[in-house]
Amino acid sequence: MLGKLLKYEFKATARTFLPIYGLILVLAIINKLFWNQSIDNFEIPRMISMSVYIMLIVAAFVITLVVTIQRFNKNLLGDEGYLSFTLPVKAHYHIDSKMIVTLIWSALSIIVSAVSVFIMVVNPEVLTQFSRMCADLAEVYRQYGLSAHLIAIEIIILIILGFLSNIVEIYAAIVVGNLAGRHKLLAGIGAYLGFGIVEQIVTSLLFSGFNRQIEEYFQSFHYSNNLFPAEPAEVALLVMILYTAVFGVAFYFFTNWMLTRKLNLE
Amino acid sequence: MDSILECRSLVKYFPGCLALNSVNLTVPKGRIVGLLGPNGSGKSTLIKLANGLLTPNAGQILVGGMAPGVETKKIVSYLPERTYLNDWMSVQTMIDYFGDFYENFNKSKAYDMLQRLHINPGDRLKTMSKGTKEKVQLILVMSREAQLYILDEPIGGVDPAARDYILDTIIGNYSENATVLISTHLITDVEKVLDDVIFINMGNIVLTSTVDDIREKEGKSVDSLFREVFKC
Repeated sequence: MLGKLLKYEFKATARTFLPIYGLILVLAIINKLFWNQSIDNFEIPRMISMSVYIMLIVAAFVITLVVTIQRFNKNLLGDEGYLSFTLPVKAHYHIDSKMIVTLIWSALSIIVSAVSVFIMVVNPEVLTQFSRMCADLAEVYRQYGLSAHLIAIEIIILIILGFLSNIVEIYAAIVVGNLAGRHKLLAGIGAYLGFGIVEQIVTSLLFSGFNRQIEEYFQSFHYSNNLFPAEPAEVALLVMILYTAVFGVAFYFFTNWMLTRKLNLE
Repeated sequence: MDSILECRSLVKYFPGCLALNSVNLTVPKGRIVGLLGPNGSGKSTLIKLANGLLTPNAGQILVGGMAPGVETKKIVSYLPERTYLNDWMSVQTMIDYFGDFYENFNKSKAYDMLQRLHINPGDRLKTMSKGTKEKVQLILVMSREAQLYILDEPIGGVDPAARDYILDTIIGNYSENATVLISTHLITDVEKVLDDVIFINMGNIVLTSTVDDIREKEGKSVDSLFREVFKC
């Protein structure tokens, strides 16, 4: 059932994202052509195509956020919710499918932007610089051995978890906002800010509470030679992963509970 | 008698409003039942509870002996009083959608009915009038081979000419063992198809009876009895 939900969630959102991605890549190619030719009096077309390109990149990220909010709001809490919630599907699959699809579009937006930049700046010189950078990175990677793999994996997990946790935080805020009779949008934004404040308070309480232990821990390593010890980075990343996961899981279960127990469609 | 829908001391309240006041109700299998009551009487609340769109504050609601959940949603075909179609889809996509999620959805039946109502399956829902959307929605709901059809105001938004076709569709498309629960206040239009009626007012069941009994014992039509019971 999750697969089917994912299929329709992709269909519903692809028609917004794919044209934008296409335009970004086309504009990147146009920019490249315009800036490489040394034609006189070509300043204005160059400026125009560059600003359109920048606007499209900004739009891609704004739209990712707007679609995240709008799909959840419309498909689950609006009129379409009458159909979504009478499908023979557990409520959490709706959260899962929307969360996964949003994660994928976010990743694609970043990849497409990176590719478009690459298209514009690529030339032999940049390519040699790029390969030199990769070689340097590989060297560092080799020196750290197993730790490097661990840190790389931890960073990837942290980024994905961070995205997912942010998405469910938005969902939780929408669900809370929906409880308000009027001004649902305002209430939703308020809830989101409220969650942020709670997170800040918890974080600062933890930091001030464990300040001494954290300091002692980091001072226990010897930063003698030019190779930094990997362990503190591994541990710090692990703590951040756990911390993000705890909030993410809390928001997820809260949203699911609200959708199953406190659902009240208009 | 086997029941398809059962309420046991069912209570639902909203802030400042008691929507269902300890309702006890049994709807048997194989009947066409009218759920009749004035606006705000608790009809839609009862229907939403049966579909798992609301959770009761106390008591129980059972569909085919089960509390509303994934299993009951498989056997209940629900037509809400508003259009719930995804407006970016075409009718065809909507049919695929129903086919994907409901095992008991009969695609050829749906295409057949669309053809008879001159609705083009390739059309996008966005471009359709409200009445046409309601027809599409009814076709989708009636194309499922469900055990319980719950229709909330199925004829409210369509013209009188289409009403007869829709009622014929409803009676023509349900099997012997299935139950149809129709909520409406257009009683004269649906009266001829009903077997039983449930009168509901201010969260209480006022009367349950067969239509034949009302005609024989009271010597009245359901419509005139309704007007008498709910006189303002």
